[in-house]
Amino acid sequence: MSLEINPTEQIIKIAAISLKGRLDAFEAPALRKTCDEYIANGFDHFVFDLTDVAMIDSAGLAVLVSVLKRARQKNGDVRLVWPREEAASRILKLTKFDQVFVSIEKSEIVPKGF
Amino acid sequence: MRIAIVTTHPPSKGSLNEYAYHFVRFLKTKTEMVEEIILLLDELPEGQQYSPEQNQAQVPVRSVPCWQFNALDNSFRIRKAVREADPDIVLFNIQFASFGDKKVPATLGLLTPWLLKLDGQKVVVLLHNIMETVNLKSAGFGNNPILEAVIRLFGNIITRFILKADWVAVTIPKYVEILESKYGAQNVLLAPHGSFEEPTETAPSTMPGGKPTVMTFGKFGTYKTVDLLVEAHAVLLKKHPDMRLVIAGTDSPNAAGYLQGVRDRYSHVPNVEYTGYVAEGDVPRIFGEAWVVAFPYTSTTGSSGVLHQAGGYGKAVVLPNLGDFAELVLEEGYDAEFFEPTSADSLAASIAKVIDNPERQREIGLRNYAAANGLPITEVVDWYLIHFEELLKRK
Repeated sequence: MSLEINPTEQIIKIAAISLKGRLDAFEAPALRKTCDEYIANGFDHFVFDLTDVAMIDSAGLAVLVSVLKRARQKNGDVRLVWPREEAASRILKLTKFDQVFVSIEKSEIVPKGF
Repeated sequence: MRIAIVTTHPPSKGSLNEYAYHFVRFLKTKTEMVEEIILLLDELPEGQQYSPEQNQAQVPVRSVPCWQFNALDNSFRIRKAVREADPDIVLFNIQFASFGDKKVPATLGLLTPWLLKLDGQKVVVLLHNIMETVNLKSAGFGNNPILEAVIRLFGNIITRFILKADWVAVTIPKYVEILESKYGAQNVLLAPHGSFEEPTETAPSTMPGGKPTVMTFGKFGTYKTVDLLVEAHAVLLKKHPDMRLVIAGTDSPNAAGYLQGVRDRYSHVPNVEYTGYVAEGDVPRIFGEAWVVAFPYTSTTGSSGVLHQAGGYGKAVVLPNLGDFAELVLEEGYDAEFFEPTSADSLAASIAKVIDNPERQREIGLRNYAAANGLPITEVVDWYLIHFEELLKRK
Protein backbone atom coordinates (compact mmCIF):
# COMPACT_ATOMS: atom_id res chain seq x y z
CA MET A 1 0.00 0.00 0.00
CA SER A 2 1.45 3.32 -1.04
CA LEU A 3 1.97 6.10 1.41
CA GLU A 4 -0.95 8.45 1.71
CA ILE A 5 0.24 12.03 2.03
CA ASN A 6 -2.20 14.64 3.27
CA PRO A 7 -0.40 17.86 3.97
CA THR A 8 -2.23 20.76 5.58
CA GLU A 9 -1.00 24.27 5.49
CA GLN A 10 -1.85 27.00 7.88
CA ILE A 11 -0.38 30.38 7.28
CA ILE A 12 -0.89 32.82 10.11
CA LYS A 13 0.37 36.28 9.36
CA ILE A 14 1.65 37.82 12.56
CA ALA A 15 2.78 41.42 12.75
CA ALA A 16 5.10 42.11 15.67
CA ILE A 17 5.28 45.84 16.28
CA SER A 18 7.72 47.25 18.78
CA LEU A 19 7.00 50.73 20.10
CA LYS A 20 9.21 53.23 21.88
CA GLY A 21 8.18 56.64 23.24
CA ARG A 22 4.75 58.11 23.97
CA LEU A 23 1.62 56.58 22.51
CA ASP A 24 -0.68 59.59 22.77
CA ALA A 25 -3.23 61.54 20.73
CA PHE A 26 -0.51 63.07 18.56
CA GLU A 27 1.39 59.86 17.86
CA ALA A 28 -1.58 57.48 17.65
CA PRO A 29 -2.55 58.32 14.03
CA ALA A 30 0.84 57.08 12.74
CA LEU A 31 0.43 53.74 14.54
CA ARG A 32 -3.13 53.47 13.29
CA LYS A 33 -1.93 53.98 9.71
CA THR A 34 0.75 51.29 10.10
CA CYS A 35 -1.78 48.81 11.50
CA ASP A 36 -4.30 49.64 8.78
CA GLU A 37 -1.68 48.71 6.20
CA TYR A 38 -0.94 45.38 7.89
CA ILE A 39 -4.64 44.55 8.13
CA ALA A 40 -5.13 45.46 4.47
CA ASN A 41 -2.29 43.04 3.67
CA GLY A 42 -4.03 40.14 5.40
CA PHE A 43 -2.42 40.23 8.83
CA ASP A 44 -4.85 39.21 11.56
CA HIS A 45 -2.51 38.47 14.48
CA PHE A 46 -0.61 41.28 16.15
CA VAL A 47 1.94 41.51 18.92
CA PHE A 48 2.65 44.97 20.31
CA ASP A 49 5.83 45.20 22.32
CA LEU A 50 5.12 48.00 24.78
CA THR A 51 8.20 47.42 26.92
CA ASP A 52 9.72 50.80 26.11
CA VAL A 53 6.54 52.83 25.83
CA ALA A 54 6.73 55.71 28.30
CA MET A 55 3.06 56.67 28.37
CA ILE A 56 -0.26 55.66 26.80
CA ASP A 57 -3.33 57.88 26.82
CA SER A 58 -6.87 56.95 25.80
CA ALA A 59 -6.26 57.84 22.14
CA GLY A 60 -3.25 55.52 22.12
CA LEU A 61 -5.19 52.71 23.73
CA ALA A 62 -7.96 53.30 21.18
CA VAL A 63 -5.59 52.19 18.41
CA LEU A 64 -4.75 48.93 20.19
CA VAL A 65 -8.43 48.20 20.88
CA SER A 66 -9.38 49.03 17.30
CA VAL A 67 -6.80 46.52 16.04
CA LEU A 68 -8.09 43.95 18.56
CA LYS A 69 -11.65 44.39 17.31
CA ARG A 70 -10.70 44.04 13.65
CA ALA A 71 -8.36 41.12 14.30
CA ARG A 72 -11.05 39.22 16.20
CA GLN A 73 -13.50 39.78 13.35
CA LYS A 74 -11.06 37.78 11.21
CA ASN A 75 -10.54 35.17 13.96
CA GLY A 76 -7.24 36.77 14.84
CA ASP A 77 -6.00 38.24 18.09
CA VAL A 78 -3.72 40.83 19.66
CA ARG A 79 -1.11 40.13 22.33
CA LEU A 80 0.83 42.64 24.33
CA VAL A 81 4.26 42.65 25.85
CA TRP A 82 3.53 44.58 29.02
CA PRO A 83 5.02 48.08 29.42
CA ARG A 84 7.63 48.70 32.10
CA GLU A 85 6.36 52.20 32.90
CA GLU A 86 3.39 52.70 35.22
CA ALA A 87 2.33 55.71 33.08
CA ALA A 88 1.90 53.29 30.20
CA SER A 89 0.18 50.41 32.00
CA ARG A 90 -2.18 52.68 34.02
CA ILE A 91 -4.72 53.18 31.22
CA LEU A 92 -4.80 49.44 30.49
CA LYS A 93 -5.63 48.73 34.13
CA LEU A 94 -8.15 51.58 34.50
CA THR A 95 -10.08 50.49 31.43
CA LYS A 96 -9.81 46.80 32.44
CA PHE A 97 -8.36 46.00 29.05
CA ASP A 98 -5.60 44.29 31.01
CA GLN A 99 -8.27 41.58 31.45
CA VAL A 100 -9.06 41.50 27.72
CA PHE A 101 -5.66 41.56 26.03
CA VAL A 102 -3.49 38.48 26.43
CA SER A 103 -0.05 39.49 27.66
CA ILE A 104 3.08 37.60 26.71
CA GLU A 105 6.78 37.79 27.56
CA LYS A 106 9.14 39.58 25.21
CA SER A 107 10.90 36.26 24.55
CA GLU A 108 7.67 34.79 23.17
CA ILE A 109 7.34 37.30 20.32
CA VAL A 110 9.33 35.19 17.90
CA PRO A 111 8.66 31.41 18.08
CA LYS A 112 11.82 29.58 19.10
CA GLY A 113 13.26 26.47 17.46
CA PHE A 114 13.18 27.56 13.83
CA MET B 1 -26.26 40.46 21.09
CA ARG B 2 -29.43 42.30 22.05
CA ILE B 3 -28.88 45.37 24.23
CA ALA B 4 -31.41 47.26 26.35
CA ILE B 5 -30.42 50.78 27.38
CA VAL B 6 -32.13 52.60 30.24
CA THR B 7 -31.67 56.25 29.37
CA THR B 8 -33.13 59.53 28.29
CA HIS B 9 -32.98 60.30 24.57
CA PRO B 10 -34.07 63.25 22.41
CA PRO B 11 -36.70 64.61 22.08
CA SER B 12 -36.73 64.12 25.86
CA LYS B 13 -34.74 66.98 27.36
CA GLY B 14 -33.69 64.93 30.41
CA SER B 15 -30.04 64.96 31.43
CA LEU B 16 -27.64 62.78 29.39
CA ASN B 17 -30.08 62.76 26.46
CA GLU B 18 -27.41 64.06 24.12
CA TYR B 19 -24.86 61.44 25.20
CA ALA B 20 -27.47 58.75 24.61
CA TYR B 21 -28.27 60.17 21.19
CA HIS B 22 -24.68 59.94 20.01
CA PHE B 23 -24.01 56.60 21.72
CA VAL B 24 -27.03 55.02 20.03
CA ARG B 25 -26.23 56.76 16.72
CA PHE B 26 -23.01 54.74 16.57
CA LEU B 27 -24.18 51.61 18.38
CA LYS B 28 -26.76 51.01 15.67
CA THR B 29 -24.00 50.92 13.04
CA LYS B 30 -22.36 47.92 14.76
CA THR B 31 -24.31 45.34 12.80
CA GLU B 32 -21.53 42.77 13.10
CA MET B 33 -22.03 42.51 16.86
CA VAL B 34 -25.48 43.87 17.74
CA GLU B 35 -28.82 42.35 16.72
CA GLU B 36 -31.25 44.75 18.38
CA ILE B 37 -31.27 47.85 20.59
CA ILE B 38 -34.16 48.37 22.97
CA LEU B 39 -34.29 51.88 24.43
CA LEU B 40 -36.06 51.97 27.79
CA LEU B 41 -36.89 55.65 27.86
CA ASP B 42 -38.53 58.30 30.01
CA GLU B 43 -42.06 59.12 28.95
CA LEU B 44 -42.51 62.30 26.91
CA PRO B 45 -44.99 65.08 27.68
CA GLU B 46 -48.48 64.78 26.22
CA GLY B 47 -48.49 65.10 22.43
CA GLN B 48 -44.84 64.16 21.86
CA GLN B 49 -43.52 60.79 20.79
CA TYR B 50 -40.22 59.11 20.03
CA SER B 51 -39.31 58.97 16.36
CA PRO B 52 -39.68 55.44 14.97
CA GLU B 53 -37.05 56.10 12.26
CA GLN B 54 -35.34 52.92 11.09
CA ASN B 55 -32.57 52.29 8.62
CA GLN B 56 -32.57 48.85 7.03
CA ALA B 57 -28.78 48.82 6.89
CA GLN B 58 -28.49 49.41 10.62
CA VAL B 59 -29.34 47.59 13.82
CA PRO B 60 -33.09 47.84 14.53
CA VAL B 61 -33.91 50.20 17.40
CA ARG B 62 -37.09 49.86 19.46
CA SER B 63 -38.21 52.65 21.83
CA VAL B 64 -40.10 51.62 24.95
CA PRO B 65 -41.12 54.59 27.13
CA CYS B 66 -41.39 53.05 30.61
CA TRP B 67 -40.32 55.49 33.29
CA GLN B 68 -40.88 59.06 34.41
CA PHE B 69 -38.68 61.62 36.15
CA ASN B 70 -39.65 61.71 39.85
CA ALA B 71 -42.06 58.75 39.62
CA LEU B 72 -41.95 56.25 42.47
CA ASP B 73 -42.60 53.12 40.43
CA ASN B 74 -39.73 53.39 37.93
CA SER B 75 -37.91 50.31 39.26
CA PHE B 76 -41.00 48.18 38.91
CA ARG B 77 -41.80 49.41 35.40
CA ILE B 78 -38.25 49.15 34.09
CA ARG B 79 -37.92 45.58 35.43
CA LYS B 80 -41.18 44.67 33.73
CA ALA B 81 -40.00 46.19 30.44
CA VAL B 82 -36.69 44.31 30.70
CA ARG B 83 -38.49 41.02 31.36
CA GLU B 84 -40.60 41.58 28.25
CA ALA B 85 -37.64 42.58 26.08
CA ASP B 86 -35.39 39.78 27.40
CA PRO B 87 -32.08 41.35 26.31
CA ASP B 88 -28.60 39.87 26.70
CA ILE B 89 -27.28 43.00 28.42
CA VAL B 90 -28.91 45.95 30.17
CA LEU B 91 -26.92 49.19 30.05
CA PHE B 92 -27.85 52.15 32.26
CA ASN B 93 -26.81 55.63 31.09
CA ILE B 94 -27.33 57.55 34.32
CA GLN B 95 -26.14 60.02 36.93
CA PHE B 96 -27.29 60.45 40.51
CA ALA B 97 -30.28 62.65 39.62
CA SER B 98 -31.38 60.75 36.51
CA PHE B 99 -34.56 59.38 38.03
CA GLY B 100 -35.57 62.46 39.98
CA ASP B 101 -34.57 65.60 41.83
CA LYS B 102 -36.57 64.42 44.85
CA LYS B 103 -34.71 62.13 47.17
CA VAL B 104 -37.10 59.15 47.32
CA PRO B 105 -37.73 58.66 43.57
CA ALA B 106 -34.08 59.38 42.80
CA THR B 107 -33.01 56.70 45.29
CA LEU B 108 -35.58 54.13 44.21
CA GLY B 109 -34.63 54.57 40.57
CA LEU B 110 -30.95 54.06 41.33
CA LEU B 111 -31.71 50.70 42.95
CA THR B 112 -32.95 49.37 39.60
CA PRO B 113 -29.57 48.03 38.38
CA TRP B 114 -29.23 45.98 41.57
CA LEU B 115 -32.81 44.69 41.28
CA LEU B 116 -32.21 43.65 37.68
CA LYS B 117 -29.07 41.85 38.77
CA LEU B 118 -31.18 39.95 41.30
CA ASP B 119 -33.51 39.12 38.41
CA GLY B 120 -30.57 37.40 36.71
CA GLN B 121 -29.78 40.05 34.10
CA LYS B 122 -26.31 41.08 32.95
CA VAL B 123 -26.13 44.71 34.02
CA VAL B 124 -23.65 47.44 33.14
CA VAL B 125 -24.00 50.95 34.55
CA LEU B 126 -22.44 53.97 32.89
CA LEU B 127 -22.35 56.32 35.88
CA HIS B 128 -21.56 59.87 34.79
CA ASN B 129 -20.88 61.21 38.27
CA ILE B 130 -20.05 59.87 41.68
CA MET B 131 -21.25 61.22 45.00
CA GLU B 132 -17.73 61.77 46.30
CA THR B 133 -16.96 64.52 43.79
CA VAL B 134 -20.34 66.25 43.52
CA ASN B 135 -20.53 69.67 45.12
CA LEU B 136 -24.06 69.26 46.47
CA LYS B 137 -24.62 72.94 47.10
CA SER B 138 -23.72 74.06 43.64
CA ALA B 139 -25.46 71.06 42.10
CA GLY B 140 -28.72 72.23 43.67
CA PHE B 141 -28.97 69.76 46.56
CA GLY B 142 -28.49 70.37 50.23
CA ASN B 143 -28.39 73.79 51.82
CA ASN B 144 -27.26 72.90 55.30
CA PRO B 145 -24.38 70.75 56.54
CA ILE B 146 -26.57 68.18 58.33
CA LEU B 147 -28.74 67.64 55.27
CA GLU B 148 -25.62 67.42 53.12
CA ALA B 149 -24.14 64.78 55.45
CA VAL B 150 -27.36 62.76 55.28
CA ILE B 151 -27.44 63.00 51.48
CA ARG B 152 -23.82 61.87 51.31
CA LEU B 153 -24.53 58.93 53.61
CA PHE B 154 -27.42 57.85 51.39
CA GLY B 155 -25.20 58.47 48.37
CA ASN B 156 -22.63 56.07 49.78
CA ILE B 157 -25.28 53.43 50.39
CA ILE B 158 -26.73 53.85 46.91
CA THR B 159 -23.25 53.66 45.42
CA ARG B 160 -22.79 50.27 47.08
CA PHE B 161 -26.01 49.07 45.44
CA ILE B 162 -24.97 50.44 42.04
CA LEU B 163 -21.67 48.59 42.43
CA LYS B 164 -23.63 45.31 42.50
CA ALA B 165 -23.83 45.61 38.70
CA ASP B 166 -21.52 43.42 36.63
CA TRP B 167 -19.57 46.46 35.49
CA VAL B 168 -19.76 50.11 36.48
CA ALA B 169 -18.23 52.35 33.83
CA VAL B 170 -17.10 55.88 34.69
CA THR B 171 -15.65 58.57 32.45
CA ILE B 172 -12.85 59.96 34.64
CA PRO B 173 -9.82 57.98 35.88
CA LYS B 174 -10.05 59.48 39.37
CA TYR B 175 -13.55 58.02 39.73
CA VAL B 176 -12.20 54.51 39.16
CA GLU B 177 -9.58 55.04 41.85
CA ILE B 178 -12.10 56.47 44.34
CA LEU B 179 -14.58 53.64 43.86
CA GLU B 180 -11.84 51.02 44.09
CA SER B 181 -10.18 52.46 47.18
CA LYS B 182 -13.27 53.55 49.13
CA TYR B 183 -15.61 50.69 48.29
CA GLY B 184 -13.11 47.97 47.47
CA ALA B 185 -14.79 47.58 44.08
CA GLN B 186 -13.14 45.38 41.45
CA ASN B 187 -15.79 45.90 38.79
CA VAL B 188 -15.24 49.55 37.92
CA LEU B 189 -13.72 50.48 34.59
CA LEU B 190 -12.80 53.64 32.78
CA ALA B 191 -14.79 54.25 29.59
CA PRO B 192 -13.78 57.71 28.39
CA HIS B 193 -16.51 60.03 27.15
CA GLY B 194 -15.34 60.19 23.55
CA SER B 195 -15.95 62.86 20.96
CA PHE B 196 -19.39 63.11 19.37
CA GLU B 197 -18.08 64.22 16.00
CA GLU B 198 -16.92 61.73 13.41
CA PRO B 199 -13.20 61.97 12.67
CA THR B 200 -12.34 64.00 9.60
CA GLU B 201 -9.15 64.15 7.58
CA THR B 202 -8.66 67.88 7.97
CA ALA B 203 -9.12 69.99 11.06
CA PRO B 204 -12.02 72.45 11.02
CA SER B 205 -11.20 76.12 11.31
CA THR B 206 -9.63 76.95 14.62
CA MET B 207 -9.72 80.63 13.58
CA PRO B 208 -13.23 81.40 12.36
CA GLY B 209 -12.80 85.15 11.78
CA GLY B 210 -15.61 87.65 12.30
CA LYS B 211 -16.07 89.35 15.65
CA PRO B 212 -14.26 87.84 18.63
CA THR B 213 -16.81 85.42 20.03
CA VAL B 214 -16.80 83.65 23.37
CA MET B 215 -19.34 80.86 23.63
CA THR B 216 -20.59 78.71 26.47
CA PHE B 217 -22.85 75.73 25.95
CA GLY B 218 -24.99 73.70 28.31
CA LYS B 219 -27.85 73.57 30.80
CA PHE B 220 -27.26 76.33 33.28
CA GLY B 221 -28.12 77.31 36.82
CA THR B 222 -26.66 74.66 39.10
CA TYR B 223 -22.93 74.00 38.85
CA LYS B 224 -22.81 75.56 35.39
CA THR B 225 -23.48 79.25 35.94
CA VAL B 226 -22.82 82.16 33.62
CA ASP B 227 -22.74 85.13 36.02
CA LEU B 228 -18.95 85.01 36.24
CA LEU B 229 -18.68 84.78 32.46
CA VAL B 230 -20.89 87.82 31.88
CA GLU B 231 -18.78 89.75 34.40
CA ALA B 232 -15.60 88.64 32.60
CA HIS B 233 -17.21 89.69 29.31
CA ALA B 234 -17.84 93.16 30.75
CA VAL B 235 -14.12 93.38 31.63
CA LEU B 236 -13.07 92.25 28.14
CA LEU B 237 -15.38 94.72 26.37
CA LYS B 238 -13.10 97.55 27.51
CA LYS B 239 -10.39 96.24 25.18
CA HIS B 240 -12.60 94.51 22.60
CA PRO B 241 -15.79 96.59 22.28
CA ASP B 242 -17.11 94.38 19.46
CA MET B 243 -16.70 91.13 21.39
CA ARG B 244 -19.73 88.80 21.50
CA LEU B 245 -20.72 86.50 24.31
CA VAL B 246 -23.01 83.66 23.19
CA ILE B 247 -24.80 81.77 25.95
CA ALA B 248 -26.08 78.67 24.19
CA GLY B 249 -28.56 76.45 25.99
CA THR B 250 -31.32 76.45 28.53
CA ASP B 251 -31.93 76.38 32.26
CA SER B 252 -30.98 73.20 34.09
CA PRO B 253 -34.10 71.21 35.07
CA ASN B 254 -33.08 71.96 38.70
CA ALA B 255 -32.85 75.73 38.13
CA ALA B 256 -35.90 76.93 36.22
CA GLY B 257 -35.77 80.69 35.52
CA TYR B 258 -32.03 81.01 36.10
CA LEU B 259 -31.14 82.44 32.68
CA GLN B 260 -33.97 84.98 32.79
CA GLY B 261 -32.54 86.15 36.11
CA VAL B 262 -29.13 86.56 34.47
CA ARG B 263 -30.68 88.58 31.63
CA ASP B 264 -32.33 90.87 34.17
CA ARG B 265 -29.27 91.26 36.37
CA TYR B 266 -26.89 91.98 33.50
CA SER B 267 -29.18 93.84 31.11
CA HIS B 268 -26.65 96.70 31.14
CA VAL B 269 -23.88 94.50 29.62
CA PRO B 270 -23.95 94.71 25.79
CA ASN B 271 -23.24 92.05 23.14
CA VAL B 272 -24.62 89.12 25.13
CA GLU B 273 -26.74 86.72 23.06
CA TYR B 274 -28.97 84.02 24.53
CA THR B 275 -29.78 81.30 22.00
CA GLY B 276 -32.18 79.19 24.07
CA TYR B 277 -32.40 75.49 23.24
CA VAL B 278 -29.96 74.57 20.47
CA ALA B 279 -31.28 71.97 18.04
CA GLU B 280 -28.79 69.32 16.82
CA GLY B 281 -28.65 70.92 13.37
CA ASP B 282 -27.53 74.28 14.80
CA VAL B 283 -24.71 72.89 16.93
CA PRO B 284 -22.00 73.06 14.20
CA ARG B 285 -22.75 76.73 13.50
CA ILE B 286 -22.76 77.67 17.19
CA PHE B 287 -19.37 76.02 17.74
CA GLY B 288 -18.05 77.12 14.35
CA GLU B 289 -18.46 80.83 15.11
CA ALA B 290 -16.71 80.62 18.48
CA TRP B 291 -13.15 81.83 18.93
CA VAL B 292 -13.04 80.26 22.35
CA VAL B 293 -15.41 78.03 24.33
CA ALA B 294 -15.67 78.89 28.03
CA PHE B 295 -16.59 76.54 30.89
CA PRO B 296 -17.70 78.72 33.81
CA TYR B 297 -18.29 75.73 36.10
CA THR B 298 -18.09 75.84 39.88
CA SER B 299 -17.77 72.06 40.17
CA THR B 300 -17.84 69.18 37.73
CA THR B 301 -20.04 66.15 37.77
CA GLY B 302 -18.35 63.89 35.30
CA SER B 303 -16.54 64.26 32.05
CA SER B 304 -17.68 67.17 29.93
CA GLY B 305 -19.43 66.39 26.69
CA VAL B 306 -19.06 70.03 25.73
CA LEU B 307 -15.27 69.82 26.05
CA HIS B 308 -15.22 66.86 23.67
CA GLN B 309 -17.52 68.71 21.29
CA ALA B 310 -15.29 71.78 21.39
CA GLY B 311 -12.34 69.51 20.59
CA GLY B 312 -14.22 68.00 17.68
CA TYR B 313 -14.64 71.49 16.23
CA GLY B 314 -10.98 72.36 16.85
CA LYS B 315 -11.75 75.04 19.41
CA ALA B 316 -9.62 76.66 22.05
CA VAL B 317 -11.14 76.38 25.53
CA VAL B 318 -10.83 78.05 28.91
CA LEU B 319 -11.41 75.72 31.85
CA PRO B 320 -11.84 76.21 35.59
CA ASN B 321 -8.93 75.04 37.67
CA LEU B 322 -10.83 72.03 39.03
CA GLY B 323 -9.38 68.58 39.57
CA ASP B 324 -11.57 66.69 37.11
CA PHE B 325 -10.75 69.00 34.22
CA ALA B 326 -7.04 68.99 34.99
CA GLU B 327 -7.08 65.19 34.96
CA LEU B 328 -9.04 65.04 31.72
CA VAL B 329 -6.51 67.27 30.06
CA LEU B 330 -3.72 64.99 31.22
CA GLU B 331 -5.40 61.68 30.37
CA GLU B 332 -7.02 62.60 27.08
CA GLY B 333 -4.48 65.02 25.67
CA TYR B 334 -6.54 68.23 25.66
CA ASP B 335 -5.05 71.72 26.08
CA ALA B 336 -6.61 74.78 27.67
CA GLU B 337 -6.10 78.05 29.46
CA PHE B 338 -7.15 77.67 33.11
CA PHE B 339 -8.80 80.18 35.45
CA GLU B 340 -9.71 80.39 39.11
CA PRO B 341 -13.36 79.27 39.29
CA THR B 342 -14.53 82.17 41.49
CA SER B 343 -12.69 85.06 39.80
CA ALA B 344 -14.14 87.02 36.86
CA ASP B 345 -10.78 88.76 36.41
CA SER B 346 -9.00 85.41 36.19
CA LEU B 347 -11.56 84.18 33.64
CA ALA B 348 -11.20 87.39 31.60
CA ALA B 349 -7.41 87.06 31.66
CA SER B 350 -7.60 83.46 30.42
CA ILE B 351 -9.96 84.39 27.59
CA ALA B 352 -7.66 87.30 26.67
CA LYS B 353 -4.69 84.92 26.44
CA VAL B 354 -6.55 83.15 23.63
CA ILE B 355 -8.28 86.07 21.92
CA ASP B 356 -5.16 88.25 21.89
CA ASN B 357 -2.84 85.48 20.73
CA PRO B 358 -3.92 83.81 17.48
CA GLU B 359 -0.96 81.43 17.64
CA ARG B 360 -2.07 80.15 21.06
CA GLN B 361 -5.69 79.98 19.86
CA ARG B 362 -4.61 77.83 16.94
CA GLU B 363 -2.28 75.67 19.06
CA ILE B 364 -4.98 74.82 21.61
CA GLY B 365 -7.55 74.25 18.90
CA LEU B 366 -5.36 71.80 16.98
CA ARG B 367 -4.34 69.92 20.11
CA ASN B 368 -7.97 69.59 21.18
CA TYR B 369 -8.91 68.46 17.71
CA ALA B 370 -6.24 65.74 17.85
CA ALA B 371 -7.45 64.67 21.31
CA ALA B 372 -11.11 64.55 20.25
CA ASN B 373 -10.29 62.68 17.04
CA GLY B 374 -8.10 60.26 18.97
CA LEU B 375 -11.11 58.76 20.70
CA PRO B 376 -14.41 59.30 18.87
CA ILE B 377 -17.49 57.89 20.56
CA THR B 378 -17.82 55.23 17.86
CA GLU B 379 -14.65 53.65 19.29
CA VAL B 380 -15.87 54.06 22.87
CA VAL B 381 -18.94 52.09 21.79
CA ASP B 382 -16.57 49.35 20.56
CA TRP B 383 -14.91 49.31 23.99
CA TYR B 384 -18.32 48.64 25.56
CA LEU B 385 -19.10 45.90 23.07
CA ILE B 386 -15.79 44.15 23.75
CA HIS B 387 -16.49 44.25 27.50
CA PHE B 388 -20.06 43.05 26.86
CA GLU B 389 -18.69 40.09 24.89
CA GLU B 390 -16.35 39.18 27.72
CA LEU B 391 -19.23 39.49 30.18
CA LEU B 392 -21.47 37.22 28.13
CA LYS B 393 -18.74 34.57 28.07
CA ARG B 394 -19.02 34.36 31.87
CA LYS B 395 -21.50 31.89 33.29
